[in-house]
Amino acid sequence: MKRVFSSITDGRGFDLVLVGVPFTFLLALSGLPLLYNILMSFQEVDMFSLGSVIRPFVGFRNYLDLFTQPETVSILKNTIVFVVGSITGQFLVGFALALFFWINFPGASWLRGLFLVSWVMPGLVVGAIWNWILSGDFGVLNFLLQQTGLMSSNIFWRSDPNFSLWAVILANIWLGTSFNMILLATGLSAIPADLYEAAEMDGANAWQRFWTITLPMMRSTIGAIIALGLIFTLQQFDLFAAITDGGPNNSSNVAQYWAWDLSFRQYDFGKGATISVIMTVFVMFAATVYVRSTRHEVRG
Amino acid sequence: MGIRRTMISIALALASASFAGMGARAEDVKLVLWSLDRDIQPAPNLIKEFNAQKNGIQIEYRQLQFDDVVSEAMRAFSTGKAPDIITIDNPNHAMFASRKAFLDLTDMIRQSKVIKPENYFPGPLKSVTWDEKYYGVPKATNTIALYYNKDLFKAAGLDPEKPPQTWTELVTTAKKLTNPSKNIYGLTFSAKANEEGTFQFLPWAQMGGATYKTINSEGAVKALTVWKQMLDEKLASPDTLTRSQWDATATFNAGNAAMAISGPWEIDRMLKDAKFQWGTALLPVPSEGAQRSSAMGDFNWAIFSSTKHPKEAFKALEFFASKDVTMYKDFGQLPARSDLPVPPTGNPQKDSALATFVEQLKYAQPRGPSPEWPKISKAIQDAIQAALTGQMEPKAALDQADAKIKSIGG
Repeated sequence: MKRVFSSITDGRGFDLVLVGVPFTFLLALSGLPLLYNILMSFQEVDMFSLGSVIRPFVGFRNYLDLFTQPETVSILKNTIVFVVGSITGQFLVGFALALFFWINFPGASWLRGLFLVSWVMPGLVVGAIWNWILSGDFGVLNFLLQQTGLMSSNIFWRSDPNFSLWAVILANIWLGTSFNMILLATGLSAIPADLYEAAEMDGANAWQRFWTITLPMMRSTIGAIIALGLIFTLQQFDLFAAITDGGPNNSSNVAQYWAWDLSFRQYDFGKGATISVIMTVFVMFAATVYVRSTRHEVRG
Repeated sequence: MGIRRTMISIALALASASFAGMGARAEDVKLVLWSLDRDIQPAPNLIKEFNAQKNGIQIEYRQLQFDDVVSEAMRAFSTGKAPDIITIDNPNHAMFASRKAFLDLTDMIRQSKVIKPENYFPGPLKSVTWDEKYYGVPKATNTIALYYNKDLFKAAGLDPEKPPQTWTELVTTAKKLTNPSKNIYGLTFSAKANEEGTFQFLPWAQMGGATYKTINSEGAVKALTVWKQMLDEKLASPDTLTRSQWDATATFNAGNAAMAISGPWEIDRMLKDAKFQWGTALLPVPSEGAQRSSAMGDFNWAIFSSTKHPKEAFKALEFFASKDVTMYKDFGQLPARSDLPVPPTGNPQKDSALATFVEQLKYAQPRGPSPEWPKISKAIQDAIQAALTGQMEPKAALDQADAKIKSIGG
C-alpha cells in the first residue's frame, strides 16, 4: 500500500497519472465521438434511430453509395482546390506581411495587432460582408474592377460556376491571413540577429540571407502553420453557408459542407458520418505533419 | 361575538378556498410546447392567453431556432423526451407522421366543434394528412404570387393594370422591362440551392401538370426551360442562383427588378421600402385557362404520440385554432382557413395584395407529403441548378432528378 502511494507521488505511478489524465480527457471528448462517427458510417442512421447505438449494419454501403453519386468526385476535387488555394494564399500573403512588419518601422507592432481583427470576427459575419462585396450586380469588388478598367462587364462571383469556389477561397484567404502572419512573425523574431550580421559580413545579399537563413530557420514554424492551416480550412463552414450555399450546382461545395448538408438537411446521418471519416483521414495526415514539424522545435 | 364568528367563518372560507385553489394548481396538467415563434409571433402569446384561463392545463414554452426544429424534435423523440406539442414546417410533417411519431388526431377532430377539416384550405390540410388520417392541424400558411412595379410598367409603355397572365406573357413583359443601362432586370426570384429553390420551382412544375413524382414530365421541362431562358437572356440576375427570396425581393424594392415572385411576408417591408406604386397578380400559368398552382409554406401544429395527455394537448390546439380569427391582425400571419376572411387593414395597397394571396392560397399545394421530402427536394434543387448554370439540358437534369427521386422511393 505504501509502495503504491509512494509510486504515485514520486515514481512510475506519477508518470502514469500524468499520462493518464490527458489521455482520459482526450478519449472521452475526442476519441469516443470519433469512434462513434466511424461506427455510424457503417450503419443506416436516420432521425428515429439517432438515439440508439445498435442500428442496422450496412457494411461499406454508405461508402459505395457516396462514390457512385455523380457529384462526389467534383466535391472532393473542390475540397482539394479549396484547401490548397486557401493555404497558399493565406501563407504567401501572411508571410509577406510578416516580413513587412519585421522591418519594424514606427507603429509596426500596432498595425500588426490590428490585422488580427479579421481573425476575431465570426465567420458568419465575415461571410455576410463578403456576400455583399462579391455580389454580382451591386458588389463592391465588381465596382472597383470596373472603375479601374480591369474588366468591362460584371462577374457573378457567387453564381458563376467558374468563380464561385474562388469567391469563397478569396474570403477565406482574407480571414486566415492574419493568423498566418502572427505565427510567422513570432517565428521570425526567434531567429537570432547575429546570424544575419555574420552573413552580412560574409557579403550575402538580402535574397541570399532569406534563402539560407530565414527559410531554413523557419522550417518548423512553416510546417506547423501549414498543418494548422489544413485543419482550419477543412473546418471552414460559415463562409460557404453565408456566400454560396455550396452552389451553384455544387460548384463550390466541399466535403465539410456536404457532410453537414447530408446530416442536417437531408437527415442521412450515416452518409454524413462517412464523409467525416474520409475527412478524418486527411486531418490525420495533417496532424502527423504538425507533430513532426513541431518536434524539431525541441531540438532547435 | 356575532362579528367574530362571521370573521372566523370568512377566514376559514378564505383559507379553504385558497387551499382548494392550491390543490387544483398542484393537480394541473403540464404540457410542453416547442416552436420557433418569437415573442411577437403566435405561439408564446397564445400560450399566455391559454394559461391565463386557469382551466387546469398549463403550457410550458420553449423556443427553438429554425435550423434546429427537426433535429431537436427527432433527438427528443428517439430518447423519449419529446414535448407534448410542437410546430413543424409543413414539408417535414410527413416524415414524423409516417413513423407514427405524431398522434393520429382523426377521431378527436371528428368530434371537435372548433377544428373542422372543411374550414381549411386544401393545401395545408393535405400537408398534415398521411395515409388519409390527420396527424396535425395547420397553424398558418403562406404562398407565392407575382409582385410588379406599376411605375416601371408605365415607363415601358405597358398597362399597369394588366400584369402578365401566362408564361409567354411573363417572358415578353420581362424583356420589355429589362434595362441593363439602368440596372433593371425584368424579374427577380430565387433558384437557390436550398429548400427555397424547390419552394419556388415546384408550383411552376405543378402548373405544367407535373408532380414531384413525375418531375421530368413535359410541363416541368417547359417550366425549367422558361426559367433558363430568363437567366440566359439576363431577364433575371445570375445571382438568382445564390440569392434567397428575401434578398431577391430587396432588389425589387430598390427598383432594380420590375417584377418579383415572393410571398406575403414581403408586404410590410415593401410598403416601407418601395418608393413606387406596386401591384400583385396570381402566378402566371403555362397557357390561358391552364390549371393554377402555388407553393405552400409555414408551420403546422402536431402532438407527439408519446404524450401522456393527448386530450389536454388537443384542447390546447382547439384553443389555438379558435384564435385564427385574429391571427392576421395580431401577428401578420395568414391563417390556413378558407372560412375566415382576412379583415381589411385600412391600407388599400396591402388589402389588395392580401386578396391576391388569399385567392392564390386556394391553389397552394404542399411539398410532398413524403417522409423522404428533404432528399426529394435536394434532387430537384440539383436539377434546377444544373440546368440554369448551363451544365445540363433541362430535360436531362430533370431526368436525373426523377431517377434519384424514384431510387429514394418518393
